[in-house]
Amino acid sequence: MPSRSRALKDVLWALALVGLVAGVFRMWFGLGATTHMSDAVPWGLWKVLNMVAGVALSTSGFTIGFLVYVLRLEQFRKYVKPAILLAFLGYGCSMLALLFDIGLPHRFWHPIVMWNEHSFLFEVFWCVLLYFTVTLIELSPSVLEQTRARRIGRWLHRLAFGVVIVGISLSSLHHSSLGSLFLVTPVRLHELWYTSWLPFLFIVSAMGAGMMMLVLVRIVYARLYDPEPVFGPASSGINGIVCQIPGISVDSGGVPERGPEMVRLSKLAIIAASLLGATLALKVVDVARRGAWTGLGQGQWEAWLFGVELLIGLALPIVLVAIPRTRRSPYGLGVASASAAAGLAINRLNVGIFGYLRDAGSFYIPSLTEWAVSVGVVAAAGLAFLFFVENCSIFDERSVVARQPGESLTVLFERWSHVWYAALMSGVHRVTLIAVLVIPLAWILLYPPYSGDNIPTVPVQAATGLDINRATLWLNSDRKGVEVTFAHLDHQNRLGKDSACHLCHHVSMPNDRSTPCSRCHRDMLSATPIFNHAHHEQAVMEKERLSGWHATNRTCGYCHPPGQAKTSDNAKDCFDCHKTDMWLTSAPDSTINLSDACAFREAMHRTCIPCHKDKAQEVKRPNLAECYTCHTSLTPRQLVTGPVTANLER
Amino acid sequence: MSVHDWIDFAKGPLFAFTFLVMVLGLLRHVIIQVSSLITGKGRRLRSAPWRRIIADALSWVIPIRHMTRGTVIFSVVSFLFHIGIILVPVLLIDHIVMWEEQLGIDLPAIGRGLADVLTLFTIAAILVLLGFRIFGSRQRSMSSRIDYLLLVMILLPFASGYAAGHANVNPLSWEAMMLTHLLSAEVLFVLVPFTKLAHIVLFFFDRISGLHWQLRPGAGDKVAHALFGEEAKV
Repeated sequence: MPSRSRALKDVLWALALVGLVAGVFRMWFGLGATTHMSDAVPWGLWKVLNMVAGVALSTSGFTIGFLVYVLRLEQFRKYVKPAILLAFLGYGCSMLALLFDIGLPHRFWHPIVMWNEHSFLFEVFWCVLLYFTVTLIELSPSVLEQTRARRIGRWLHRLAFGVVIVGISLSSLHHSSLGSLFLVTPVRLHELWYTSWLPFLFIVSAMGAGMMMLVLVRIVYARLYDPEPVFGPASSGINGIVCQIPGISVDSGGVPERGPEMVRLSKLAIIAASLLGATLALKVVDVARRGAWTGLGQGQWEAWLFGVELLIGLALPIVLVAIPRTRRSPYGLGVASASAAAGLAINRLNVGIFGYLRDAGSFYIPSLTEWAVSVGVVAAAGLAFLFFVENCSIFDERSVVARQPGESLTVLFERWSHVWYAALMSGVHRVTLIAVLVIPLAWILLYPPYSGDNIPTVPVQAATGLDINRATLWLNSDRKGVEVTFAHLDHQNRLGKDSACHLCHHVSMPNDRSTPCSRCHRDMLSATPIFNHAHHEQAVMEKERLSGWHATNRTCGYCHPPGQAKTSDNAKDCFDCHKTDMWLTSAPDSTINLSDACAFREAMHRTCIPCHKDKAQEVKRPNLAECYTCHTSLTPRQLVTGPVTANLER
Repeated sequence: MSVHDWIDFAKGPLFAFTFLVMVLGLLRHVIIQVSSLITGKGRRLRSAPWRRIIADALSWVIPIRHMTRGTVIFSVVSFLFHIGIILVPVLLIDHIVMWEEQLGIDLPAIGRGLADVLTLFTIAAILVLLGFRIFGSRQRSMSSRIDYLLLVMILLPFASGYAAGHANVNPLSWEAMMLTHLLSAEVLFVLVPFTKLAHIVLFFFDRISGLHWQLRPGAGDKVAHALFGEEAKV
């Protein structure tokens, strides 16, 4: 076993385990507590990076099938198996990530039974599902070879041609539909990316980048397990002598062939690069056709992203493949293919996330949990890939990696701890050790209650009246003991009797004239929402006499503008309807935010302290704005006088 | 960060981290032991003399049958030490509150008086065991640095926990003692799966697997030498 793949496996296991912890937290605590997705940005990392970009990078399964089975390019037959494996794992991990993304994961099977034939996603779901099945059928002969069920494998192998054709049609269907999906948001998606050519651009770019992905995987496999066919004999790299291998030509530029496999790989890269070139041409023509250049020229940040996407995803790989020197070097080809894959991911992120941010009016940075699941799923797919490569003949008929004798049980004495370790060198030992270290770390990093923005909820208790007229109120709202005895009637009389209410009380519930503070400011430490959406839907429906099966669905337009994201920011102002029924005075303060009530502590302090500060000057009582004027229990010991001591004893 | 924030951190995330390292580390020992038993012994496990193995293991739990003349005090003290070290950390009322808050497990508590007595017993037992290892020539010849270190590491949370709970014996502030208590206990949690403290679970395996956690290469000869003099060999 090469130590290179061992180190890689350790890293992959660590990432996959972190992803596992994150996945458990997501299932346990829900999307809201673990992700930074919102109503304004509902499509996050999992959907766009893992699903939309993930399946796009797994297209090699059908493109290589097309080259070999339809165009009869027999030289690429060697790549059919790895391409199918790539497609199988790519689609598998996309679906796994999507399972975390949907709100009710246990209902993932609903589209199988409940058909919504108007939705592009419905088509995508079915195509992905069927194509995953196709890759499974295509892959099973190579897996079953290793087991006793060889005969089933051979029988399935006979179906290969038909299955490949089905796979090609399914793939071309859903890769374009993934583009069509974004056509339903003509206003929201930024003009640089929104084009009626999206379906076409999606499938062409996916085919190019998918092939590049296969090139990358072939080179990585060679680097890990079997360098000779790609990197050439070990000596050629060291002393720079051109190695003449019988049957393999040295190219006209005088650059040595690295290995026999490189010829085939560069041919594949040329096909991929021409597809990428087609994408580039289409994009340029499309932007020119729609006159979206203006957006590019205005220096919006989207223009930079668009440029990066073109540069990394299309221009750089095309140039690297076009230059013979880099095309024939495994490193040059590796950089070209990695950059094409990264560029495709950036493109899909642009179309799926960044293109919407300007319209949504908010920004989206994926949470740590989102990254962990996203990377963890891919790491798990990587481990599965290494497993298949080592145990089935994927790249070569004889490429099943021999079992190392060192894998058997060994016993070791650890001198520092005086513990006998059995099985120290085996895989189980390494993986479990990684788990012991990584899982607790992931736990404390991702556990939602530990994350900084999580303020504990401390419900507010209503004020207690100390007499029957509630002339004096006792505020111990968090029951922590730093209470305030508030002479309500006293304050009212001093400030101007009935005309003074609005000096402290700013707003009441509709048709109420004396709503207590704690009705809206319901938490000591954090703001609480006071707008009841469901109640408003119902009220609008009844008032406007809307009818139909889902009459509340017709109420949106009464508050939200058409053609825009439905957020609280652009909804109708509360005071448009509540003109008089919530106000204590005739001149309402229209700047007030009625969707959230600030924390109770904040509300009280902001109401009392400024006024007390003013009065402290006025009545020459400098202590009037000090904490202990109201919170008598905080009085410093040297200031305690008669009446306050009595208060403390109570 | 104030000292109270540090205490909250030590009680919250750091506790979760170290406790998980301990639990998973011990679980790992179980997995490795079981898997190595299966690969190493395989079907022979089925015909193993289970009844004798279990009886033998249990007889070491209460070490009365294995006492010889020279080891009586050592055995009794170490037995008492184990009672305190298991009961107090798990069943003290302050800890039960923490189990319930952090893990949602509800356990019956032992009384505060009993806990105090057990804690003092344990502290005394640790000191006696340390004394044996330092002054007894037999024990010293079998000990290495880690054995002393582990005893001190176990002493720390017990002593600091007792001091934090009893202001009259506390030389420092409650906060300082509490933080010492939390941090030393958490270091101990991490040490458990990677030192011979792993016998919390490995104890149940050493009789079966034949690999004894206490023994180091050549230890048999050293033990024989300590017990029976120069010429003895295992």
